[in-house]
Amino acid sequence: MKHFKETLYDAVCQEFRIDKMYFESKTAHQHLMIFHNAQLGRVMTLDGVVQTTEADEFIYHEMLAHVPIFAHGNAKRVLIVGGGDGGMIREVLKHPVEHVTQVEIDQAVVDMAIEYLPNHSNGAYQDPRLNLVIADGFDFVKQYADSNQPSFDVIISDSTDPIGPGEVLFTDNFYAYAKRCLTPNGIMVTQNGVPFFQQDEIQTTYERMGQQFADMHFYCAPIPTYYGGFMTFAWGTDDLTARTRSADDLQEQFDALNLDTRYYNPEIHQAAFALPQYVKRSFKPES
Amino acid sequence: MNNPHPIDARPLITGDDPAAQAHYQKLVAEYGSPLLVLNRRVLQARFKALQAALPEVDLYYAVKAHPDPEIIKIIDQLGGGFDIASAGEMSLLLDHKVSGRRTIHTHPIKKDQEIRDGLRFGATTFVIDNAHELKKLVPYRSRVGVLLRVSFRSASAIVDLSKKFGCAPDEVADLVQQANALGIHVKGLSFHVGSQCNDASKHVEAITRCHALMQEINTTANKPLSVLDIGGGFPADYALQGLDIDAFCAPIRTALAELPKDWHLIAEPGRYLVAPSVTSVTTVAGKSVRNGFRWYYLDDGIYGSYSGQLFDHATYPLQVFRDGERLPSIIAGPTCDSIDVVAENIAMPELEIGDLLIGHQMGAYTAATKTRFNSIPDARLVVVDHPQERPVLSD
Repeated sequence: MKHFKETLYDAVCQEFRIDKMYFESKTAHQHLMIFHNAQLGRVMTLDGVVQTTEADEFIYHEMLAHVPIFAHGNAKRVLIVGGGDGGMIREVLKHPVEHVTQVEIDQAVVDMAIEYLPNHSNGAYQDPRLNLVIADGFDFVKQYADSNQPSFDVIISDSTDPIGPGEVLFTDNFYAYAKRCLTPNGIMVTQNGVPFFQQDEIQTTYERMGQQFADMHFYCAPIPTYYGGFMTFAWGTDDLTARTRSADDLQEQFDALNLDTRYYNPEIHQAAFALPQYVKRSFKPES
Repeated sequence: MNNPHPIDARPLITGDDPAAQAHYQKLVAEYGSPLLVLNRRVLQARFKALQAALPEVDLYYAVKAHPDPEIIKIIDQLGGGFDIASAGEMSLLLDHKVSGRRTIHTHPIKKDQEIRDGLRFGATTFVIDNAHELKKLVPYRSRVGVLLRVSFRSASAIVDLSKKFGCAPDEVADLVQQANALGIHVKGLSFHVGSQCNDASKHVEAITRCHALMQEINTTANKPLSVLDIGGGFPADYALQGLDIDAFCAPIRTALAELPKDWHLIAEPGRYLVAPSVTSVTTVAGKSVRNGFRWYYLDDGIYGSYSGQLFDHATYPLQVFRDGERLPSIIAGPTCDSIDVVAENIAMPELEIGDLLIGHQMGAYTAATKTRFNSIPDARLVVVDHPQERPVLSD
């Protein structure tokens, strides 16, 4: 019987039984595996780290997509960096947005996800509002920032961890260029790791991304296969009202859209910004 | 007058051995010459013998000894781990879908990019031996476990057991403290007594001293040291006198038995495993008589499979399938360089062009250090499952 052992930490690791291997390849960019696990459904790993599973992906994708878009209230243009498995575009395109650009570094991830994780994108790659660009996310925002193309209302960085190809998506320059791709009241959110194990990551992001935004904060959700308790998402915007949308506002939008979510709802939206003390202290030691 | 050709007294097997000769001739007929013949059975037997001799120790094959995909495949099938020292070695393992979880990164000095590559590959155990290297791990402290490499100067032997790497024993406590302050987990110690040891006395001394060091630190440490990596040093039988690995390891077993039962023990064998598993097959491509010496020019030499004679200071036992009067001979490699000589002034029966010359014990640090000089193609590595015992000289 084959098992997959995650390689994130030295002293602890989670192990998955591989019930059926669908795909394994070493692409130019990363080592990709998609296999079936009886408990979690299909599991995708990159470079030995779990990226997404069919069983719990909804928590991650709903929270990284719906929180900034509902908070914005009128998002027309959304940029997704990464997210090649297609889960993020699926959730974003449930909103009445006019345009979504997705920049994914690895065509193989998109191809394999369409073939082996079809429920993630659920047809979203066919949506005419989507412009899929295969490019390095950093290069894309850098060029876009200096172009005269229309800004984005929401930027979602759905990246791997800061070791590997996702590395540049956690740099000062990336946040600076991304900021210049945003509308004045635009919102940027990023995947930011599990602070129980990756305390440094939240601190680094707070210092780097915080330089760009008047309101720099984090919100969180527990995703079972990103084990270690809460995962945090970094939140940056110059719109100081965005983080404190009223429950009524959110409820009205949510009802109007008639979303069939499994994790997100307006109460969760507001509550997600409440952070445990150990998380707060990792970026604001005086908390 | 100085003799420009000191006598080469390495083990030389001569005479008829029809079974062996036919075996190598068949391989050459099929795959060409020169060859490195990897005998899977020998490698498997060696791995199992070392496992049996050190039953409490997890074996991590030192990939540097012979970074060949076929060897990696066999070690992988045997369930062994891998000791890696570079991004190139990681990539080799990745090609064979070996998880980083089964590796330890043992190079004490690393660039930041190498640490990142290591983590991406999935290696989380890193070896360091000084505070500069410790600080490099700070950004990755939540992910890594560190082994401190210690080097001992033996009062009795007056031998520097580890010259290039390793901190002094009296630095260990301080480094552990610094690591603690930086939030980096030191999980244990490692040492290397050097390669090709005659007996295990250095291992035993190092184990005993590490044991004492770790226990002393553990009386106060909040995160106890619990891993001991005893490195390599397990010998190859270059003299063809027979090697009893169980007897060699007996004192190590005794020393390890003194350690707490919950400590995790690791070794990094390379030479012992692969040296006898690979045999070099070369062909006499030319011959001449000069200054009273028979000169034989092979199709492989110092810049190829025999590079270990230069870099590793090894002398490999040779075998020819001829008998007769022993004549002073010089065995040279194929390049134009005069340093490319495999054996100076060796007494050997007369060889003919086309004869095979066999090099035994040629698996470790041989092809690993080959060069591209003269653009001569590498010896091809072929895998066999041959029941034949490796030769042992009887006298």
